[in-house]
Amino acid sequence: MTPQPVLEPRIAGDIRLGNTYPGIAHLTTHLTAEQMTELLAGPAGAAEAGDLRRMRSPGQDGDAGSASASDPEQNAAFAEAHLLTCARCAAELAGLREGLSLFRQASIAYADSELRRRPQWTLPGRSILRPALEPAYWVAAAAMLLTALFPLQVLRQHGLGSPPAVATSLADHPAESQSDEALLADVNREVSASVPAPMQALADPTGDVSSVSVQTSPETSDPRKD
Amino acid sequence: MQLMPENIQTFPSTTLSLTAQRATPLDDLESVVALYQPRVFRFLLATLHDRDAAETLTQETFLRAWAARDRFREDCSIATWLIRIALNLARDHTRTGRFRFWKRSSISNVDVAEVAASLPSREGSVESRLIAQQQVALIWETVAGLSERQRAIFLLRFLEEMDIPDIATVTGLPLSTVKSHLYRALGVIRTRHNSTLRNPASKETL
Repeated sequence: MTPQPVLEPRIAGDIRLGNTYPGIAHLTTHLTAEQMTELLAGPAGAAEAGDLRRMRSPGQDGDAGSASASDPEQNAAFAEAHLLTCARCAAELAGLREGLSLFRQASIAYADSELRRRPQWTLPGRSILRPALEPAYWVAAAAMLLTALFPLQVLRQHGLGSPPAVATSLADHPAESQSDEALLADVNREVSASVPAPMQALADPTGDVSSVSVQTSPETSDPRKD
Repeated sequence: MQLMPENIQTFPSTTLSLTAQRATPLDDLESVVALYQPRVFRFLLATLHDRDAAETLTQETFLRAWAARDRFREDCSIATWLIRIALNLARDHTRTGRFRFWKRSSISNVDVAEVAASLPSREGSVESRLIAQQQVALIWETVAGLSERQRAIFLLRFLEEMDIPDIATVTGLPLSTVKSHLYRALGVIRTRHNSTLRNPASKETL
């Protein structure tokens, strides 16, 4: 009588190895913890599952050597095939994936709502942010400086040219020049006179009284003012 | 204190001055922040479970990235670069005694119930929605109990949906180490998940 292979649980709990006996795995056993995490971790994790198995210490999870010699791709294929036939493993994997998905959705929603509640940042000015555009900013600054200095330069030039302009205006108007000369001549005559006009009455006390009364003004009638 | 990614090359000052004018994708900080701020913030929030610390370190992440933009060689994506900086900042932050002290009583600590309640509305009964929220709370709590590396790798894989090689780049760990931590984290979550299914009363303890 041929001895029958004994299928013993290889890991703790009620989950038994599925890929130790590939031919009948989908009938009698469940996915290992390692296979389940490989499926959860995604294709990037499962692709190099063999590396992890070799790295892990023997005896961990009780499945040492059970799959280390198998091809990772073959192992993943067995796990996928097992999920098609084992409702229990499929439900467990679906539940874990659902939980991880919910965790991500809730974390994103919470973080976004929290971020919206917080005040916006004040970022530095663009002149600091865009060093590639710094030459343009320098040109703009130079243009502004020139714009500010231009009126000053015009005023300066205007101030230096004013004396010739005045001389020219005097030369262009001889009538005004003559009147000014006449005015100056009158002033000179008044200044050079021995007795000023307001004091003519005092200069000749024997003169006509009427003429004196006519020339007397309120300002000159007070002798203290003289 | 390690603040920048480990594999960033350092250049002599002369070389640095020559490359200072090189345009980089990080020059436009406004666009980079608008695009990646939610991602960096949620990763830090899930890592630290502290809203204020997450925001502070998010800002710090972008400032550091911008300051070091000349050293960004574009051999990885901007997201990977930013997450790597954020992870280093979070690691430095959690190792301080001040963080451990304030962690116990900070009012900005994340409430698990709030996270679970943030779950987008789904079709179904009230009961199914409650079950979904319990699943979220269960995983959130379990992740909080993981070791620092396991938590970071788990979040990078299942929150940020990064590939294993990208996670290895971000963490600076070999692929095999990343997978080992990831599998162990998943093992813990699976065990907790199954035990909760067998004994629903344990959900009340969350």
